[in-house]
Amino acid sequence: MEFLQPTSWTDALAAKAASPEAVPICGGTDLMVELNFDARRPAALLDLTKVADLAQWDIDDGSVRLGAGVSYARIITELSARLPGLAMAARTVGSPQIRNRGTVGGNLGTASPAGDAHPPLLAAAATVEAASVRGTRLIGIDEFFTGVKRNALAADELIAAVRIPLPVGPEQFSKIGTRNAMVIAVAAFAVALQPARKLVRTGIGSAAPTPRRAPAAEQFLAGALAEHDLWESRAELPGPLLDRFGDLVTAAAAPIDDVRGTAAYRLHALGVMARRTLAWAWRQYQSASPEGS
Amino acid sequence: MSILGTRVLRTEDPRFLTTGGVYTEDVVDERLAGACHVTFVRSPVAHAKISEIDVSAALAAPGVVAVITGADLADLPTIEPAMAGLINGKMRQRLLATDTVRHVGEAVAAVVTESAYQGEDAIELVQVDYDLLPAVVDMTAAAADEVVLHADAGTNTAADFGSPDSLKADLFDGCEVVVSQTIVNQRVAPAPMETRAAAAVWGDDGRLTAWVPNQGAQGTRGSLAKLLALEEAQIRVITPDVGGAFGAKFGADPEHAVVAWIARYLGRPARWTETRYENLISMTHGRAQRQQVTIGGSKDGTVQAYRLEVLQDAGAYPRIGAILPFLTILMTPGPYAFPRAEAIAKTVVTNTTPVGAYRGAGRPEATAAVERAIDLFAAAAGVDPAQVRRKNLLPTFTEPHQTAFGALYDSGDYVAALDKALAAAGYDELRTEQQRRRASGDVRQIGIGLASYVEITGAGDEAGAPNENASVEVHPDGTATILTGTSPHGQGHATAWAMIASDELGIPVEKITLKWGDTDLIPEGGGTGGSRSLQLGGAAVQQASKELLDVARQRAADQLEANPADLVFDVGRSAFAVAGDPDASVPLAALAEGERLLVRTVFAAAGATFPFGTHVAVAEVDTETGKVVLRRMVTVDDAGVVLNPLLAEGQRHGGIAQGAAQAFLEEVLYDADGNPLTTSFADYPILSATEMPSFELADMATPTSYNPLGAKGIGEAGTIGSTPAVQNAVIDAVAYLGVRHIDMPTTPRRVWQAIRDAAHDGSEHG
Repeated sequence: MEFLQPTSWTDALAAKAASPEAVPICGGTDLMVELNFDARRPAALLDLTKVADLAQWDIDDGSVRLGAGVSYARIITELSARLPGLAMAARTVGSPQIRNRGTVGGNLGTASPAGDAHPPLLAAAATVEAASVRGTRLIGIDEFFTGVKRNALAADELIAAVRIPLPVGPEQFSKIGTRNAMVIAVAAFAVALQPARKLVRTGIGSAAPTPRRAPAAEQFLAGALAEHDLWESRAELPGPLLDRFGDLVTAAAAPIDDVRGTAAYRLHALGVMARRTLAWAWRQYQSASPEGS
Repeated sequence: MSILGTRVLRTEDPRFLTTGGVYTEDVVDERLAGACHVTFVRSPVAHAKISEIDVSAALAAPGVVAVITGADLADLPTIEPAMAGLINGKMRQRLLATDTVRHVGEAVAAVVTESAYQGEDAIELVQVDYDLLPAVVDMTAAAADEVVLHADAGTNTAADFGSPDSLKADLFDGCEVVVSQTIVNQRVAPAPMETRAAAAVWGDDGRLTAWVPNQGAQGTRGSLAKLLALEEAQIRVITPDVGGAFGAKFGADPEHAVVAWIARYLGRPARWTETRYENLISMTHGRAQRQQVTIGGSKDGTVQAYRLEVLQDAGAYPRIGAILPFLTILMTPGPYAFPRAEAIAKTVVTNTTPVGAYRGAGRPEATAAVERAIDLFAAAAGVDPAQVRRKNLLPTFTEPHQTAFGALYDSGDYVAALDKALAAAGYDELRTEQQRRRASGDVRQIGIGLASYVEITGAGDEAGAPNENASVEVHPDGTATILTGTSPHGQGHATAWAMIASDELGIPVEKITLKWGDTDLIPEGGGTGGSRSLQLGGAAVQQASKELLDVARQRAADQLEANPADLVFDVGRSAFAVAGDPDASVPLAALAEGERLLVRTVFAAAGATFPFGTHVAVAEVDTETGKVVLRRMVTVDDAGVVLNPLLAEGQRHGGIAQGAAQAFLEEVLYDADGNPLTTSFADYPILSATEMPSFELADMATPTSYNPLGAKGIGEAGTIGSTPAVQNAVIDAVAYLGVRHIDMPTTPRRVWQAIRDAAHDGSEHG
């Protein structure tokens, strides 16, 4: 197996262009498992840990530009105020050791339906910055996941960063697994409210071939909130509204049975998580002063 | 003041916490220089005929020294089932499968390479052609004998313990309330942090030296002798540090014998360490029973009759697990005074990993059954489960109590243990809180689960006698060495045995060294398992120390020219003195100058002891998601007199956690074709600290008269009590929704399903 270890981003892109079969590795928390179990034996590994730029984040034009190599641990310690939804998900990733190694860039590269970062990135309308020697392009998160463990990257592209708009309203995340830590999600759900735009966005994990949104649920909720002037009144959400939102989220999913859970349970759990996260987000919205929000 | 009963810190820990342990894989020994590595080719299918094995490509791979198949081992005997008298002796295994594989993970060939990594690559090049046979995974299907695993045996039934014909048709006559339930005591993986391993070398004298992580070097030597058709005297087993065993490292497995055979065949030392994947599919599993309980009695909560029918899964080859229903039956009524009780069991083989001993081994299964039965009965009778237990527990006894199932309980105060646990938990307040949450319609409901247990520890070994040997030697420099036949792997014997000797000899704990696990040094011993060590091995150390003082007293009398009867031993000074003349004294160490001051003794106990207790679990259940959070574990574990509370609490902590893990997390799963589904720690959710509350341990110590320490075993009690307590708590939390029973593990999906099914049943009937 070839082991490529570029020390600059330019070299990394050149290496990927020259060896499109090379699999990028950063924290290795997904990839090393596959290699150790011999589920995968790539011809080459492209180690990105020496590319210092990748481990940086900054704020640019209302978005956090999160380098692909920033660890979950750093998201928790450095970005939990700016990116609360992603930070919540980051706290549920693996163990402290795995959070020290694992990166959002790696999560996106693997594109597992169970990737913990994906639901909040979907809910936050993130954009993936893909780069190659040909240049840089932006891929909307909605178009990024193309199949089970497949993404929209071209063979010569690497993920440089993910751009996450700073939230303009409450974000919530929920995940259910068989135990509290070191667990692959049975199902996960994220919701983001955007009161100024009167928009709602969602993200579903572990309950379809790819992470995905629940568009019908978003439209229903946005419509219902507007129709009843709830954005303005900040009144209690009616029970039937929460239930309908949960049902529509459930309807958007297409889970399977596996050793961690049945499809029926995943659908049920998604409905519960959708209702709960919405209720939590709404409570946050209620408690924030109208002027300050 | 005696050191016994005090919280002496583990003398073992500084080494583990600084330089770390030396496990079999870490052993550096000149005898192992240039060792080759063994990697096993394992069956990917559950049941098949082997039509051909082609090793040519593997032989040509880099670093490959040899490839061994079953044909190479044809001269070795087939492996007899454990306890061949009780088990169908025709269900035999070969060290490497030759014509048939019977479970995924069964070793088919062994690739020998210069380095371990070369082995992982080379095993993929061994071509094995399998002609698939139908897999038998379910126990009931196995019992039907439509597909028979062992043609010679002609049946899948490995053993019957009693016959269904013996069950009394009128057992439940006159009972106002009768409840029946099928209970799955699921298959679990021992999952020790250290997987199996071996290192082997043959000396010029024709003797095998084998390093094996084990629970008793002498038993491992015996197993290796049988598997390799050797005399025990030809084998030396050395025990490095052992990273967890839980019953699954007793004796030796086929792989250990193959490694030893390869070392002789190649004339070169050989080593093997299995991967976690191999460990999860080929180390023995535990539990694996399906139970049918029926319980009946009067509406006031008095139980009149109890029946337990057990179906035990032995896996593909009957190992110790095949006979564990014997212990389950022995402990059928637990701590209860049931007027009528009966039990039968059947063990079958299936195309799954063999089942062995697992922390508690047969007794947790009995406790789980009767504790679920008590709760089912309490629910049906409408009586508080604590009240039902109090009403039916055996009253206090100090003279041994003979049960109808042949167990002789040495001493017990079961009601006191129950009351103590209930008081420590604040049982009435918990019930009030439960009522409050139910009334308020809280999504998160709490359940309170009880388990009262009695179990059997320090029972006889295969030879039947509950005994253990120890040697104690005092050296002229004032230090002492103890040799023990037990085999500590985390239990803290180095600390505990030193405390016992120190208490007798007046030598400080830090000057006493414990040795174990080398069969040339300690040829006899029963090892560590069945919670036997302190009450047998510890008692032997005390006996040896006393006998050593007798020898020393005679020598002191000679030196001091006094009558032995006129000498007193001053423990504080570790010296003999003439009574009334303290200046006329001689230190114990001085008596070891010249002739060695060494005593070896065997302690024989009057019988097995029966620790008991009550566990109270408080579980919070999210009634929407089914997620269980264990909020509290309050336990009373009475194991007689406690030698070192720190060690005893450690055993209780580990046991409680391991038992709770079975209740709500762990399960080994197979699909219908016998493919294992839980082959890594991503899919087999071993417990982590984040699932556990801080344990609340209440103390109680009812001495036994069976050994001079007054001690009973504590190693498995935690596991035995906590599993049904937690399961009962989860069910109790959702009982108000109409749920009667949820099988373990009570995963979110299962709890949700139970709630949904109960709602469905309710609406159907309503």
